[in-house]
Amino acid sequence: MQPVVQLSLRDVCKAFPTKAGQVDVLGGLSFDIHEKDFVSIIGPSGCGKSTVFNIIAGLLQPDAGSIIYRGEEVPNLRGKVGYMLQKDLLLPWRTVLDNVLLGPELQHKDPAEARDNAMEYLNTYGLAGFEHAYPRMLSGGMRQRVALIRTLINDPDIILLDEPFSALDYQTRLYLEGVLMEAVETFHKTVVLVTHDIDEAVALSKRVVVLGGRPSTVKAIHDIEIAARTPIGARADPRFSGYFNTLCSELDIQTQVRAA
Amino acid sequence: MISIDTPTNGIAASASVNRSSASRTQKIATPQVPIRRHKKSLIDNAIGRTVVQTLAVVIFFGVWELGVRVGLISSFMVGAPLSIFQALLRAAQSGMLWVDTGYTLFAALIGFVLGTVVGSAAGLALWYSPFVARVIEPFIVSINSVPKIAFAPIVVLWFGTGLVSKVALAVSLTAIIALVAAYEAAKDADPDLQALILTLGATKNDVFYKVVVPSTLPYIIATFRINIGFGLVGVVVGEFISSEKGLGHMIFTASSLYDLNTVWAGLFMLMAIGFVLYFAIDRIERALLPWKAQSVSSTLRV
Repeated sequence: MQPVVQLSLRDVCKAFPTKAGQVDVLGGLSFDIHEKDFVSIIGPSGCGKSTVFNIIAGLLQPDAGSIIYRGEEVPNLRGKVGYMLQKDLLLPWRTVLDNVLLGPELQHKDPAEARDNAMEYLNTYGLAGFEHAYPRMLSGGMRQRVALIRTLINDPDIILLDEPFSALDYQTRLYLEGVLMEAVETFHKTVVLVTHDIDEAVALSKRVVVLGGRPSTVKAIHDIEIAARTPIGARADPRFSGYFNTLCSELDIQTQVRAA
Repeated sequence: MISIDTPTNGIAASASVNRSSASRTQKIATPQVPIRRHKKSLIDNAIGRTVVQTLAVVIFFGVWELGVRVGLISSFMVGAPLSIFQALLRAAQSGMLWVDTGYTLFAALIGFVLGTVVGSAAGLALWYSPFVARVIEPFIVSINSVPKIAFAPIVVLWFGTGLVSKVALAVSLTAIIALVAAYEAAKDADPDLQALILTLGATKNDVFYKVVVPSTLPYIIATFRINIGFGLVGVVVGEFISSEKGLGHMIFTASSLYDLNTVWAGLFMLMAIGFVLYFAIDRIERALLPWKAQSVSSTLRV
């Protein structure tokens, strides 16, 4: 079955002005994201991963190139995407419930209905009883779960994740990766994950886009054919280390301090 | 504090299943170590602190009174605690103390509220237009650098010797502080939170009311504490220059008559007003910022 393209980036360029002059970050970036895809974008630090992310989210305007969404050229995807960062970005002055209700509130949805919906999500993700707690009372893992619910409750077409779990300990992270995978399968979402973690990219994604060069272009796109759809199961797959090594060599990661 | 992440246990359990076949659980005998508790300080509690504070006040006035009695301290130049108390009592019985205190308190409160509200609102509004903010920044800096007390004679000329001039002085002192604090805090509102709420479909007004205002609120409330003092300063200075009532008036006339005891009586009343207002603001802060409430258990032992 031929996958249906949901979002395409075509020759996207972006430069940032600095004191030393223009710095070209993205030099003509093109790739497709399919419907119900799970795409990871990896690359060396400073390659513009987060810039791609912000362009798709509509927070940055590309200098050139186009964004095509379901066959139509659009300026950005504001309102169609959900957005999660390493920082949980919960509003500290709002309770857990009010944080989750931020999206429905901004879109002027029916408050009573949104509230019921939010409570259902909170119950599903083990946060019942914490709806009136303030974020500072919760652990990092719980806060990130609230952030995930806030993203899901808006029913976005595409979920954008920028290293969402990199500040968490490994156990919490495996758990949240599992939660994310399950949520994505249940709600049929498309996910774009920006990460520096090859392990995470291979375990979660259907496809991995490798960025490289300066300014960055797409170096390679890999299909990850691991059937297991759980973070631990995927890591146990015999092909896991093969993908891992391929991606490592693609990124020219040096594990030795000095070349022999 | 609640920080238990129960769902992670599932993973921990499934991981240990694989290993349990290889490794055998061992029981480790725990040595009986007596649990040492941190000694609770005898003094560092609510009652102990009050006792120490009261003691300090009693000693201070006792030494002062004793010095006056012995002749080491001039009661003419410095006054004496017992005479101050008598002066307070006399003023209270005549009713003038309450009139003066009420007058000063009223003027200071109105000046504080007006100045803080107008200043904070103006400072927050500057967030909307970085252009306007940059244009007026040098003007704010230059107005702020003038000792506002120096405006007092003009303010009295403009607004007369009544209540209005006192309020105007208090406003001139408090408004600019509130403005600068609110503007600086609004400028620093977390850009990531603003980005997040924008991706959720927020308008500029939404960003302002749902992110900028709540995140500047703690800073605005912090200026309340400073401004309550400045409100009193403005009113008292106004009363020094020209007035018929108020604690500033009471202090000023008494000092020109070398009635030091009445001067002290007025000063202690001012102190009492400041003290009460400070704690009132503490209450307001707790009510407005429940999410900031500091728990004692999390304070570090240094």
